[in-house]
Amino acid sequence: MIREIIKHPAPLSVEYATDVRVFDDKLFALIEDLKDTINENNLDALSAYQIGNYYNVIVVKNDKGELIEMMNPRLISHNGIIVTQESTAYYPDKNATIQRFENISVVFQDRKGNDASIQASGEFAVRIQRKIDYTFGATFIHKMSKEEKEKFEKSLQNGINSSNADYCPTTFHRDKILKFINIVMLIMLLPLLASFFIENIQILQTMWMYELYIAYGVLFLQIVYFFYAQYEGKLNIACDSCQLGNIVAVTAISLGKLAVIVVASYFLLHVT
Amino acid sequence: MARLIVLGGGVAGHTTATFAAKWLGSEHEVVVVTPNAKWNWIPSNIWVGVGQMTKEEVTFDLAPVYAKAGISYYQAKAVSLNPEGSESSDKPFVTIEYTSTDKAGQSENIEYDYIVNATGPKLNFGATPGLGEGSELGEHTVSVCTADHAVHASEKLAEAIEKMKGGTRQKFLIGTGHGMCTCQGAAFEYIFNIENEIRKAGVRDMADMKWISNESFLGDFGMGGLHMKVGGYVVSSKLFAESLYAERNIEWLIGAHVSKVETGKIEYELLDGSTGEEEFDFSMLIPPFAGVGLKAYDKTGTDITDTVFAPNGFMKVDANYAAGAYENWKASDWPRTYQNPTYKNMFAAGIAFAPPHLISKPMKSPNGTPINPTPPRTGMPSGIIGKAVAHSVCDLMTKGENAHLHEASMAEMGAACVASAGKGVFTGTAAAMTVYPVVPDFEKYPGTGRDTDYTFGEIGLAGHWIKHILHFLFIYKAKLNPGWTLIPE
Repeated sequence: MIREIIKHPAPLSVEYATDVRVFDDKLFALIEDLKDTINENNLDALSAYQIGNYYNVIVVKNDKGELIEMMNPRLISHNGIIVTQESTAYYPDKNATIQRFENISVVFQDRKGNDASIQASGEFAVRIQRKIDYTFGATFIHKMSKEEKEKFEKSLQNGINSSNADYCPTTFHRDKILKFINIVMLIMLLPLLASFFIENIQILQTMWMYELYIAYGVLFLQIVYFFYAQYEGKLNIACDSCQLGNIVAVTAISLGKLAVIVVASYFLLHVT
Repeated sequence: MARLIVLGGGVAGHTTATFAAKWLGSEHEVVVVTPNAKWNWIPSNIWVGVGQMTKEEVTFDLAPVYAKAGISYYQAKAVSLNPEGSESSDKPFVTIEYTSTDKAGQSENIEYDYIVNATGPKLNFGATPGLGEGSELGEHTVSVCTADHAVHASEKLAEAIEKMKGGTRQKFLIGTGHGMCTCQGAAFEYIFNIENEIRKAGVRDMADMKWISNESFLGDFGMGGLHMKVGGYVVSSKLFAESLYAERNIEWLIGAHVSKVETGKIEYELLDGSTGEEEFDFSMLIPPFAGVGLKAYDKTGTDITDTVFAPNGFMKVDANYAAGAYENWKASDWPRTYQNPTYKNMFAAGIAFAPPHLISKPMKSPNGTPINPTPPRTGMPSGIIGKAVAHSVCDLMTKGENAHLHEASMAEMGAACVASAGKGVFTGTAAAMTVYPVVPDFEKYPGTGRDTDYTFGEIGLAGHWIKHILHFLFIYKAKLNPGWTLIPE
């Protein structure tokens, strides 16, 4: 049966890398599906992960055009380096320059569960390496140099992480503002500690003054955070309204912390 | 008054003994039998092995700590167990042989009510020809398994660095010395710490570095790999490790069983059946682990070692040892209480318990040589298991034989691991990883077998600082300084 290949920007699953333990009809059907999908789409290799299955199964065309089935493949030794122009079904119509091993030795199991090994070179070796990467949840992006990765990311409408298309990301730029606010508030605690060891009223007053200025700064940053966070959330269509509640709560907690520090500073530093 | 004997004073044994002594108070007696005079924070041996720490910084004398805790301490090794007692008495006992200088070689029988086997492993250097004899390290390679080994390794490393400074290229070969090794993490830390040191010494371009291990993929670590949430992505430890090796210009060879070690050369067999040789100037190869070789006898003196211990010498506990082939393995095969099924007053903790099977996929070469990592049971899991066992034994001693046993299955337990990749206040790096659960549960978490929300990793300077802080924290805890119980395992 021809199966649908997951393509960018649909995210790849976080479920992957399960070794095949039972070699039964279900596995044979999966292998046949992979072959049918390869033939239909005129591909040279496919991993089960690319059709939404988490088992470590790949099917790769060798240099003679035969489809080689490999269960639980592992690349154990290599030599030589080649740089290739690669494309992959996950990123249709895209190419990238990737560094690969030229000669590899791979151990795997056949459909009966028998141990087997294969030595591959050149194009065939590259194909196997690409598919093994998929069994560990990776596309060729993980093999790119930093520069190549940046170039590739720019060429994609939604970025490498397809998050903004289909699901709400777990990390945001706004978290950096929050981190900075937290660090500043931690620093604000230092004068409070110091107040237990300082008796000079003038120094305490000066510290209170600076504490107050910093508090205004933090308050300003909290306001910036509140509005920027909402702006950033709207950039991601998949982020629903519940994140507004999250932003409000985070801002309220941060304000609460600041209030506690200011009140404590008032009693400990504002001595007349 | 009942007596609990803890065999071994490593992470698991020390945790069990110290918590048991605290919970039991002076009502009952806690005895520790360990051949070592010093406690060793083994994870920091890596830094001793590259000359960044001294032996004294990673060890301390056990006697004063046990005196403070009210624990009776015998510097001796356990030789055999008589769980049914002898013909003249029903009281079970353990036979020990002293290792302290004043009584070295003398034997003694100590009776017990409860016993916890936390002897750790025998470093089985003898399993690979040329790697060593029995548990003794050979002359061709170095090791970081003990503090003394690590001191020796640092001296050899310093010599290699001097040679490189003198213009002689050096080949470094680091990894596992047998197809059935565990502790790939320690070798991983060591190769990256060496790389960091020789870079600092300005001779990185004079060094060829190669990793050799029995893993079937880089980043397996004996746990079948792990999948870390890094900045919103879920990345396999394979990809993480491969990019690290490439970044640091370290070659690798995996799926390898080291079959012979000679001066400057090893022979190996790969999972694909091929064989080869690898030369080296400096090599650290982790030995395989085995049980320490404890024997067991019944009341009549008949050898019942096979009943109490698995063939590899580790103690049988409440695990499912009849799980059979790989396809039948389940997370529930892993032990929960660590109680011996035959003798209910015997427990095992840490490396000393026999795991039901591997965690990684079992693999063998076409010649039939098994080449796969064996399950790691060190560090955090050892401490957690040690504490759970202490809880159980204390309850049995204070509440009676029907007390509820505490559970700590590695299939329901998370673990944090900080792997150093170089030491330095501002230049250090370490990979901090958490994994939940340690043993993957494919029924509960289809795919990776683990909860990706609780499995994450980062590499950087912060990780190094955490690792360094943990060094002080755990030594502080092991010395039973004020507040030690508040520091988690």
